[in-house]
Amino acid sequence: MTTIQINNKTVQAAEGEMLLAVIRRQKIDIPALCDHDAVEPCGSCRLCMVEITKKEWNGWSKFVTSCLYPVEPNLIVNTHTPKLLELRKTILDLYLARSPQSDIIQKMALEYGITETSYQTVPDGDNCIMCYACTRICAELGRHAISAVDRGHDKVISGPLREAPVDCVGCLSCAHICPTNFIEWVDDNSSRTIWGRKFDLISCKSCGKKTITREFADYLIQTRNIPSEYFDVCDDCKRSELSKKMGKIVIQAQEITG
Amino acid sequence: MKYRFIVDPSLCTGCRTCELACAFSHAKNLKPGRSRIYPLAHAKDKYVPVTCLQCDDAACVKSCIFNALKRNEETGAIELDQGRCVKCMACVAACPFGCALVDEVHQEIVKCDLCKGDPACAHFCPSKALRYTRIAAG
Repeated sequence: MTTIQINNKTVQAAEGEMLLAVIRRQKIDIPALCDHDAVEPCGSCRLCMVEITKKEWNGWSKFVTSCLYPVEPNLIVNTHTPKLLELRKTILDLYLARSPQSDIIQKMALEYGITETSYQTVPDGDNCIMCYACTRICAELGRHAISAVDRGHDKVISGPLREAPVDCVGCLSCAHICPTNFIEWVDDNSSRTIWGRKFDLISCKSCGKKTITREFADYLIQTRNIPSEYFDVCDDCKRSELSKKMGKIVIQAQEITG
Repeated sequence: MKYRFIVDPSLCTGCRTCELACAFSHAKNLKPGRSRIYPLAHAKDKYVPVTCLQCDDAACVKSCIFNALKRNEETGAIELDQGRCVKCMACVAACPFGCALVDEVHQEIVKCDLCKGDPACAHFCPSKALRYTRIAAG
């Protein structure tokens, strides 16, 4: 453990822990879009920037992304200096130019007093802010199904060569982690479509309720060592089965003891 | 693990007080959460309170790729870290007893965490079918 200073308050933190986690623990509100506990930080959204300095730096300071900066002894951190507010405002202004339709970006921008972007709106702007949360979670899953394709203005997140990703298992982790809810999927009666690929959903053997995709179940069976019969029945039917089995045991016990 | 959560279905009357206690103790933003425990009838007027069995070799923990499910060694309960969960539904599908649940109101996966060592359902159960008692040392 070491001591650092955040907004003139002395705080205990573990050395090597990322600054953002320490700041969040102090209930200091700084925005971040690409940050998620399940994936390694990558500092792509730039919103969690803080100003750091040290006594021996003789008044010099620098801006760093707090999600990527590990705690060092005697660090002095400021999270809401006028320069930082201006910086975050500019970043949010740029995001708003790219994704004017996104609810979360509109809300964040409003908190910093921006209702309309001061830049020219991107003509075919979508809600993808290229934070790579989806590609990082897919890599964490061990699939590496999606990645950034093409460069510059043409860059999009997609399967290789802009085709449907062959390694995708349809687990929806990418869609749920996406901070701007850009990744869309469709579930109909028997199948799920995401990234232009269609997956069959497992239907419960007794009631027909749809659970996860066959591909995801197979992946879990193979890599996580889970018996395949666990995926045959839905959770509702498993619970009533549990109740029936337990009830039977109770009745038998009562018969024995009288 | 000094305490054990005991479910005695023979005493359960199916009053669903445990369900209320659970839902309200897990309320967020003044909205009650989905109850992690509820009595299920297996025959007429015969109920079994169904909740997580906190398995030793738990399928939910094995299925969680992002390590969001971890056992709390103090209480013995498997706890879900909401910050790490990405709602892939692996645990919901993998649990052989169907006790990882989907909370539609708060849009999250929930499971019994024994209220961090002080289960609300056991406090409120009027027929003492749910108990949380100290077990003998050793």
